[in-house]
Amino acid sequence: MANAYLNRKFDKMRAAEEAGQLKSKGGGRALRKMLNNRLAVAGLIIFGIIFFAAVFAPLLTQYDPGKIDLRARLQPPSWEHIFGTDATGRDIFARVIFGGRISILVGLGSALMAAAVGVAIGAYTGYKGGWADMVALRISEIVTSFPQIILVLMIVTILGQSLGNLILIFVLTGWGQTYRLVRARMLSVREEEYVQALQSFGLGTFRVCYKHMLPNALGPVMVNVTLTTAAFILTEAGLSFLGLGVPSNIPTWGNILIAANDLRVLQNNWWIWLPVGGVISLFVLSVNFIGDGLRDSTDSSVQG
Amino acid sequence: MLTFVIRRILILIPMLILISFMIFGGLELTPGDAVSQMLSPEIAGTISAEELDALREKFGLNASFLERYWIWLSNVMQGNFGYSLASGVAITDVFFDRLPATLELATLALFFSSIFGIALGTMAALRRGSLADGSLTVAGMLGVSIPEFFFALVSLLIFALNLNWLPVGGRLLPGYESFWDRAPHLVMPVMVMSLMMTAGVMRYARSAMLDSMSKEFMRTARSKGLPEWRVNFLHGFRTALTPVIVLIGFRLPTLIGGTVIIEQVFQWPGVGNEFVQAVRGQDYPLVMMIALFSVSAMLVASLIIDVLTALIDPRVRLG
Amino acid sequence: MKLSFKALALASAMAVATPSAYAQEVIANPFSDVRVRQAIAYAIDMETIAETLYEGRVILADSMIPNGSFKADGLNDYAYDPEKARALLAEAGWDEDYVVDVMFYYGDQITLDLMTVMQAYLADVGVQMTYRKMEGDPAQLTAVADPDGDTSVVAWDLAYGAKAALVMQEYYSVYADGESAYTPGNATRNELLGRINGTANIEEQIAAFKDFEQFENVELSDIPLYYQQLYIFESDRLDRNGGLYGNDQFNYDWGILNWEVTPDADGNKVLYTNKGPIQVFFTPWLNPGLQIASKIVFDRLLTADGSLVPTGGQLAEAYTVSDDGLTITFDMRDGATWHDGAPVTAEDVVWSLQTAMIGAPINAVMANTLTSIEGAAAFKAGDADSVSGISVEGDIVTIQLATIDPSVLVTFTQFAILPKHLLENVDPLELQQDAFWQNPIGSGPFRVEEVQMNDFTRFVPYEGYWGGVASFDEIVAFPSEDVDPNVVKNAGAGRLDFGFTKSVSDVASLEAMDNMRVIGADIPYTRSLRVNAYPNRPVNN
Repeated sequence: MANAYLNRKFDKMRAAEEAGQLKSKGGGRALRKMLNNRLAVAGLIIFGIIFFAAVFAPLLTQYDPGKIDLRARLQPPSWEHIFGTDATGRDIFARVIFGGRISILVGLGSALMAAAVGVAIGAYTGYKGGWADMVALRISEIVTSFPQIILVLMIVTILGQSLGNLILIFVLTGWGQTYRLVRARMLSVREEEYVQALQSFGLGTFRVCYKHMLPNALGPVMVNVTLTTAAFILTEAGLSFLGLGVPSNIPTWGNILIAANDLRVLQNNWWIWLPVGGVISLFVLSVNFIGDGLRDSTDSSVQG
Repeated sequence: MLTFVIRRILILIPMLILISFMIFGGLELTPGDAVSQMLSPEIAGTISAEELDALREKFGLNASFLERYWIWLSNVMQGNFGYSLASGVAITDVFFDRLPATLELATLALFFSSIFGIALGTMAALRRGSLADGSLTVAGMLGVSIPEFFFALVSLLIFALNLNWLPVGGRLLPGYESFWDRAPHLVMPVMVMSLMMTAGVMRYARSAMLDSMSKEFMRTARSKGLPEWRVNFLHGFRTALTPVIVLIGFRLPTLIGGTVIIEQVFQWPGVGNEFVQAVRGQDYPLVMMIALFSVSAMLVASLIIDVLTALIDPRVRLG
Repeated sequence: MKLSFKALALASAMAVATPSAYAQEVIANPFSDVRVRQAIAYAIDMETIAETLYEGRVILADSMIPNGSFKADGLNDYAYDPEKARALLAEAGWDEDYVVDVMFYYGDQITLDLMTVMQAYLADVGVQMTYRKMEGDPAQLTAVADPDGDTSVVAWDLAYGAKAALVMQEYYSVYADGESAYTPGNATRNELLGRINGTANIEEQIAAFKDFEQFENVELSDIPLYYQQLYIFESDRLDRNGGLYGNDQFNYDWGILNWEVTPDADGNKVLYTNKGPIQVFFTPWLNPGLQIASKIVFDRLLTADGSLVPTGGQLAEAYTVSDDGLTITFDMRDGATWHDGAPVTAEDVVWSLQTAMIGAPINAVMANTLTSIEGAAAFKAGDADSVSGISVEGDIVTIQLATIDPSVLVTFTQFAILPKHLLENVDPLELQQDAFWQNPIGSGPFRVEEVQMNDFTRFVPYEGYWGGVASFDEIVAFPSEDVDPNVVKNAGAGRLDFGFTKSVSDVASLEAMDNMRVIGADIPYTRSLRVNAYPNRPVNN
């Protein structure tokens, strides 16, 4: 079986090569790889900058993100306030980097937790099969067939709006994807020889499952985490923008953008919304770059 | 083929029932009072408690949870979805009044994004490694990274406020007769939604196309001496179509989710906008029903997608 | 008992009972100490807030009563003094760990900004604060506790809200013993209330009000923040031609029939406005002027001036009030008809009054008048078939009051008469749900021509209106709630010719437009912080 797998891989590589030659675009594939690597590296750098800016926020600004200064409201960017001030005089740069903490916590944190849940359930039920597998599969299907924002808002209506609730809701609605992925891997790996060997040695389910089979699935899971992070950050921003995400007394990137609903602010005070929007876009972009790079490096059967 | 369809439908029904149970349960968990919903706080401050109590007295609650669920469910099956707390209007009326507006947006966005996405994705696949490919890739990444509402706000600012080319929002104005009258209102929402979705479709189309281009049967076709374009479009394309259709199916949740935000920004009178108002106003029956509608629509749509895929690619039927 | 589905639907939505003080954790309430309330007033710099956040467009308030003849002299304006605030808090033994719970119900950005600012000011004097928007049940704001109890039902410490009064009494009658959600009973206050409600003599009333204000200035049941004008805006295509500018939230003689409109490019004299229906037309009994339809589709018995002082008859051709103020007669006008052609009769008036008595929630001032009518209680309880205090003889309707009501005439300037022949078979408790409210018929100067729910509604002048036909072609109303986020957008696009806003940020944008002008109307509208002064309160979870 392992041989057949390798054979297929080699066939593909050969076919690709030949197809590449027919195309004669000159070093197409190499260019591609390099580009990918460059993008992934760029992504990592941008991610790192924003991430550490958020983590080390207190060191980067003398302003308290909540400190108001009514006499200095709505000021455009200046040396004193790099991104200017908002409607109550708070320094926007401070709010952006402190807000990053919450947004990244919600986005990355929920994604990691959702992945953990998905992995745990997927590995176990995928390996065991049977009734538990059926139930988990159906539940995950239901959860993933809801458009995410509708499911989130529905649960927000029931549970109420708070930071903790939002993370909980994201985890509840997001574990499905990772679960399906891990489960599929489990199902295919379950029949492999080395697993049967382990089983015949008498190793317990837990060890076989988590220690030996799981590492195979980690690549795609990591890719999935990046995708989920990107999705959660965008969803949190959207929800907070609607006023239905993180409660507005906690600064997050989405909350800061609420002010842009006012057309006057939109037209006259660009510094209130443009930098924040740019930061969100850059961060998500960097996460996507990283995800793409990860996908390329962990799954070489993917073309291009 | 028929067994395949029947099998899928049989799986669908218990899922729908389970979902309806979840939704009814959710409805039960929500707090709030129907009567007081209609009052604005400035007026409510002066209504006497007895008057409110008297109104509440009229609606007793003595059936058990399951009984209530059963009655609710049978009403739902008959098409009676209850009443919006905010306005007292029947929810079916609210929903179907608003549905055309959302469908307009959604189908146009789906249409444009599929066409452009597939076209651009194919082009990128064919010119793999070139500058065009590279820049399309980056553009695609950018498209899925920018928050939808941000992009909407920026286009609102540029096209409606600064340049005054397009209206600021809304869907209809009195005096509109033909579709072309109200087309300007559609341009920005559809453009924003399409661009966002095109980016996603393009990436998948590209990799699906690349995947199929390298397959063995393509080599066979080439070795038969068929001209390159025929090989690419007729053979490669059709096989690439399957995953693309599936992926368009995956776009559907994004589509519905997207309408929620876009309709808010552009004040588009659709279901998504209504949903947000309902959530804001704690109009629980409306929230739950719209959720029920949308998930049912999703499930039915995915059923259709599965059937379509099965039609195109016989291998799927066995799976 | 036949349970309609709607009943079940409504009932199942009421799964949770109104908060009971017994079921929740109860804590001692530091705001029962007057020094704490005063400290909060000193801690907030309203002057700076008014100048900056509100761009100078609001007037600082030192009492709930607006400036004018009812205003007392020498009130403490609690100017910003953080030192004093800290001193008072120390004196009262303020616990620094206590987190003040502030609730508000406006959804606009300025309110959020105000909350942020308040939080900062309070933090400056050592007070922690969180804020939340009121969601769902308005009983959270208004639920009243037992008069004997010392635990409030409401769970907040401070609630940011407003009082838009139809008559001055409304400001203080909310403190009546056993009727206030946040102010426990008090002998002195009861006595003062008796004085302001017990006389129809204006001089005595004013004196009573001034004493009340001095009392409240120290007690601070409400911390007054600011008075706000109503900002009426108009495009340059409209000329009110002598019509009045007044409290646009209600009905008064704005002379709409004589408005002059400049034709648009197609030669049509069309006026655009907002406050159109989003999903349904609301009955005009709860909010007499919230939707534009309530104002132009329906007529009332009397008409008023900009300050809502009655000035003459509308559906009533003439009216009389007895010397003791307890008997009012209305002589119904001949020739007044409904939009479907049927005549408006005294029967419609009687039916409307009776239905309002037992039916859906109605405005407080109107409700008060209705309960003052002789025989109202018996009718409501079901002991009588009709209200003994309402009688009809030919075209004359006579209303006999059992108790004096200083605002009875104001009620009749706002209480719309509804068509009996179209609604008499509807259950009064489910009045709003009837299909009538998808396309209502009234007797006012305009009738509904076309409805596209949530897009626009078109009104055209009613050809059979007794007062004549308006000189312009139609009114197009875009849907909105009380707070319309699209005012600036629509005005800028030339799609808003008249209306009003209470939002300061709208005003600045409107004034910057060449085609729009803004007129500020002084109305009794005070924004304040209600303070929960009960000795204990439940914890909000």
